[in-house]
Amino acid sequence: MHELLLAAGGPGPVSTGEAIAFWILGPVALAGGLGMIFSRNAVHSALWLVLTMLSLGILYMVQQAPFLGFVQIIVYTGAVMMLFLFVLMLVGRDSSDSVVEVLRGQRLWAAVLGVGMAGLVVGAVSRALTDVQTANLNGPNANGGIGNVANVGKLVFTDYLFPFELTSALLITAAVGAMILGYLDRHSKGTKHTQRELVEMRFRGEYARPGSLPGPGVFATANSVATPALLPDGSVSGESLSRLIDTTASEELSGDVTSVAGSGVAPDAHALVPGADRSETEENR
Amino acid sequence: MSVLATLVTAAQPVPVPAPPAPAATITQPPISYPAIMPILIILGAACVGVLFEAFLPRHNRIAAQLVLSVLAILVAGWRLLSYADEMPETGTITLGRALAVDKPTLVLWATLLVLTIGALILMADRTVERGGYFVADAAVRPGTVQDRAQAGRGEMQTEVFPLALFALGGMMVFCAANDLLTMFIALEVLSLPLYLMCGLARRRRLLSQEAAVKYFLLGAFASAFFLYGLALLYGYAGSVQLSDIANAAAGTNRSETLLFGGLGLLVVGLLFKGSVGPFHTWTPDVYQGAPTPVTAFMGACTKIAAFGGILRVLSVGFGTTSWEWRGVLWGVAIASMVIGAVLGLTQTDVKRMVAYSSVAHAGFLLIGAIVLKPAGLSATLFYLVTYGFTTLATFGVIGLVRNADGEATHLSQWAGLAKRSPLVAGTMAFLLLALAGIPLTSGFVGKFVVFQAALSDGMAPLVVVAVLASAVAAFFYLRVIVLMYFSQPAEDGPTVTIPNLWTTGVLTVCVLVTLFLGIAPSLVLDWTSSGVFALQ
Repeated sequence: MHELLLAAGGPGPVSTGEAIAFWILGPVALAGGLGMIFSRNAVHSALWLVLTMLSLGILYMVQQAPFLGFVQIIVYTGAVMMLFLFVLMLVGRDSSDSVVEVLRGQRLWAAVLGVGMAGLVVGAVSRALTDVQTANLNGPNANGGIGNVANVGKLVFTDYLFPFELTSALLITAAVGAMILGYLDRHSKGTKHTQRELVEMRFRGEYARPGSLPGPGVFATANSVATPALLPDGSVSGESLSRLIDTTASEELSGDVTSVAGSGVAPDAHALVPGADRSETEENR
Repeated sequence: MSVLATLVTAAQPVPVPAPPAPAATITQPPISYPAIMPILIILGAACVGVLFEAFLPRHNRIAAQLVLSVLAILVAGWRLLSYADEMPETGTITLGRALAVDKPTLVLWATLLVLTIGALILMADRTVERGGYFVADAAVRPGTVQDRAQAGRGEMQTEVFPLALFALGGMMVFCAANDLLTMFIALEVLSLPLYLMCGLARRRRLLSQEAAVKYFLLGAFASAFFLYGLALLYGYAGSVQLSDIANAAAGTNRSETLLFGGLGLLVVGLLFKGSVGPFHTWTPDVYQGAPTPVTAFMGACTKIAAFGGILRVLSVGFGTTSWEWRGVLWGVAIASMVIGAVLGLTQTDVKRMVAYSSVAHAGFLLIGAIVLKPAGLSATLFYLVTYGFTTLATFGVIGLVRNADGEATHLSQWAGLAKRSPLVAGTMAFLLLALAGIPLTSGFVGKFVVFQAALSDGMAPLVVVAVLASAVAAFFYLRVIVLMYFSQPAEDGPTVTIPNLWTTGVLTVCVLVTLFLGIAPSLVLDWTSSGVFALQ
């Protein structure tokens, strides 16, 4: 690997600083990549990837490509990965890997072929670079004394003018696509009533009652939605119960009934989480 | 010297560097506007279409979008034809060698423009189904109450028109791209709208969205392959220009690992778009799930663009090293033909069957593409023209056979169709015969010229395999014809919808072109063989 690095350094030897930077950042970037693949949590995965990208960005700067390095950090690490994290947080991060193989032996073959492919590419690239006198960036960067960033800018407006302009079509498409898939027109006629319209309709009698239904008596005596609300005279308000509860078989609510009546087994005072065994299985359905 | 090393040595007194010289004025690359005018018109019209979406009331949009798109394509076609006369014989390379506008480019552009008009008219057809092929509101989740409510609304997402124009613009750039970077961006510009359009079907929305996701994920994967190949080739040649890569390969005797590694990865990305051989796995699902006019657009135009790109990359960039990689592409072509023909036999869905047929056709096209001689180029271009028109009409007809659930694509539902609608059954039978390559159709002439070019280049074994594969493929086309003509129609079978005049016109033109190119191909053959790629 060190020989490769030496070869890549061009005519001169690799300076100490560059070697130190490489041997610190290289393993860190590799660890980030592996961590991204192997961590179960999607957010951790994304953070590992941030680590890899940051290391790569610094490596680019060390190799005389400051523009690329900063773009890597600002655009990829800063913008893209943070967007990625936002999406993960919005969608919810409790994802579980499916352990069911739809195609039998798929994982085995994917692993074998993946490692084989990686071996081929790494072998080919390292072989191709061993006896090649690679160009360093001293020449291009100093071109006309305007340096790396100005040179990149010059290329964007001369040789790569057309591809650069063409990416705008890509951005427009992406924006239009996001609008199509994400935007729901709620304000045009007949889609959804505003709050004011709803109130007026209620008082005009288009709904059964002007106000909302009374809430259940949750937290009055128990934390079950099957607990009815009590009217001022102490009688039970039938409206406060969901129709679902009326139609639910009484056996299914027996647990709630006992807990409301206080006739069930008292919570174990020594248990860390009272009733954890039941809530884990029942409420998450 | 590195930045870090600079930091290390910064402790010692360093002579203050001279202030940077004022940036030299840069000279813009010369731009030949007449040559690239068709692209500019199409992409500009797409942007105007997006503005239409923002500012026009909903009920006006579809007519305005259709008029704008067709008008833009007609104007682009007119500019194209007027430029064809004044173009230098060797073509024009413009925009700093990013685009090469030459005779094959013009042929591909003209074909793409004409076919896209047809596809756009199919997309705008709202007589086949209330509201058209596209969903009224794609953001509504499938299967919900709101989804059932919107299903009856006679509206559609009119964004498909600007998206189709963007895709068309991307395809045109893809055919003309003279360096790999432009080609990559064009690949994305043509793919992204297609991914979106695949997911917008009015009926069977989950299937449609699944198709879009599959196409997007696999397409992103293929793009990554393309990009990695591009990077390796840049490492080899120090340039992304196709002609520079060819020169680098011809001029030196250094290790060619990067060259062939890069070519391999690059070709995977290209073959994926052309749905060739082992890289075809997205094709049946996407063809089936996408709205039928989008399938028609994809089947016809993406194939043309992809093979336009493959032809240029192989002949301009890698012509000098062809004897080293051609064997691999032989294998790919054989695999593609065999997969398409054999798996096509087992299909029970008409759209999936045509998808596998397109895989087989991609194999035939690849044979023409690896001939790397003017004869091969002209034959492949001719085949693309014929295949485009036939495919567009085939999917147009498939969209007409419907029952209460939308399109009736299961083969059993097509039984006895000839008794219900002799005209549609006859048209479909003719188109299937053209796909099979029966004489008097354009498919026969297309196959004939490609096989002839391959034979003249010493690829006789490949031609034998191709003839066998087309014989096997002919079986499943004929099976549909037999089913339509010699089976009893099912009790609750589908009905054939009478489309509006425009769609009828498109189908008629496509069928007539298929017939005409089968009887008198010389006119178009002269046109496709009028020139070769610009080498610079």
